[in-house]
Amino acid sequence: MLALDIKNLNKKYEHFHLQNISFQLEKGYIMGFIGANGAGKTTTIKSILNLTRMDSGEIDILGKNMAEHEVELKQEIGSAFGDINFYSRSKIKTLTNVIKRFYSNWDDETYYKYLKKFNLNENKKISELSTGMKVKYSLALALSHGAKLLILDEPTSGLDPVARDNLLDIFQELVQDGEISILFSTHITSDLEKCADYITYIHNGQIINSAEKEQFVDTYLLLNGKKEQLDMIKNKLIAYKTNSFGFTGLIHTKDFDPSSDIKSSAPNLEEIMIYFSKKEDMYV
Amino acid sequence: MYNLLMKELKLGVSPFFYILPFLTGALMLIPGWLYFLVILYFCFITIPNMFAGYKTQNDLIFTSILPVTKKDIVKAKVSVIVILELMHIVVAMIYGMISIRLYPNLTSYFFGPSLGFWGLCFIMIAIFNIIFISMYYKTAFKYGAATIASITAAMLFAGGAEWLGIENSFVSDLFKGTGTAHLATQLSILITGIVIFALFTIIAYHIAIKRFEKVEI
Repeated sequence: MLALDIKNLNKKYEHFHLQNISFQLEKGYIMGFIGANGAGKTTTIKSILNLTRMDSGEIDILGKNMAEHEVELKQEIGSAFGDINFYSRSKIKTLTNVIKRFYSNWDDETYYKYLKKFNLNENKKISELSTGMKVKYSLALALSHGAKLLILDEPTSGLDPVARDNLLDIFQELVQDGEISILFSTHITSDLEKCADYITYIHNGQIINSAEKEQFVDTYLLLNGKKEQLDMIKNKLIAYKTNSFGFTGLIHTKDFDPSSDIKSSAPNLEEIMIYFSKKEDMYV
Repeated sequence: MYNLLMKELKLGVSPFFYILPFLTGALMLIPGWLYFLVILYFCFITIPNMFAGYKTQNDLIFTSILPVTKKDIVKAKVSVIVILELMHIVVAMIYGMISIRLYPNLTSYFFGPSLGFWGLCFIMIAIFNIIFISMYYKTAFKYGAATIASITAAMLFAGGAEWLGIENSFVSDLFKGTGTAHLATQLSILITGIVIFALFTIIAYHIAIKRFEKVEI
């Protein structure tokens, strides 16, 4: 079953355009949603949650259409926005008491279990929590109302490496039973290398690629060649950089002839991101 | 809807705004004062401060993530405004009754706290609501222009009413002269005021829903 199915989402702003966004997240998996700042990650996430109106397209969550079953589906969605605080001067206890009334499946036992697990003190104010703790509080809330799909916008940005690693471990633990699915956006590619099953890459409002992680990386090759070789292959490269020894460039694996003597290696996600954004600059 | 109202009352509204009616209401004890101001303080103080709070606490996103309809979000917020308005008016009315007993023989230049005057207050707040609520929900976060426009309109109404009360003998008689003794007349002005208040607020609520549906959060 698909936890999330986005089909041809379009949204036009004056200076920005989300174009035909389509991707699917299988139930029980973690999908990393990567892209540079301003690529459209948050806009896509807001569209999924119906916070912004899309111009066209369809969003299905857990097999139901979001536009038609918004209130019902929001019972099953947990969300966290890494950089937005709500009622930060209120105590956790106060906020929880208000929030829990909205959810028909709220379970106090689960809630206290996670508070304990995440080391959250009910009497602390939101403003007293560290960035990582705030995300954990959002997770505790989501899990206590039995959310099946977690949509997290930049949950790891602003976190130190230890807190990040800790959070990623929690993500993996959550999807283990196959009931919960996670979509999280980030621009920190090492997060995804650690824990994502699927990767969706958005660039300038368009989905460049959405695939299973290994497959995603296999789609591209990083080439290292001499200056003379550059002209031969230039047209096929997604983007390249030259240096005194020659060039390095990114290419679609299908466009590369393995019999040529250009050195090739598997790129990491960061390199893929960098070369795609370089592509844009080259045409300017 | 009940949960949302509870959310507003517990999180959105600072306890200060529940106490404020008792402070501003006490101004009714100033003999012969311009009593419209007592109710206007709600528009001057509570509204901009409350909505600034919503803005800084990111209330809009917070509420939109919850499993609720946009219609209910508006309904809860309008309800809170109405609850606070009623608190201000009712508390002021009580202080007004004390005021009448304290100064029984006062000849006031402005309207005294008669039932008819409270009817006028309801109309003033009705005007405030229809402008503020419908303008605010164009964006659901910009409260400045909406506050200025709605306060201006409410003040113009209050000023106009006071002016008529001084210049026009019929109005003057109705609110200050022998007319005050006619309970039925006074009561009917009050009821008319309440009906206008209800009507304008309901219209504002429907305009707000229509506008809020189009708001991008």
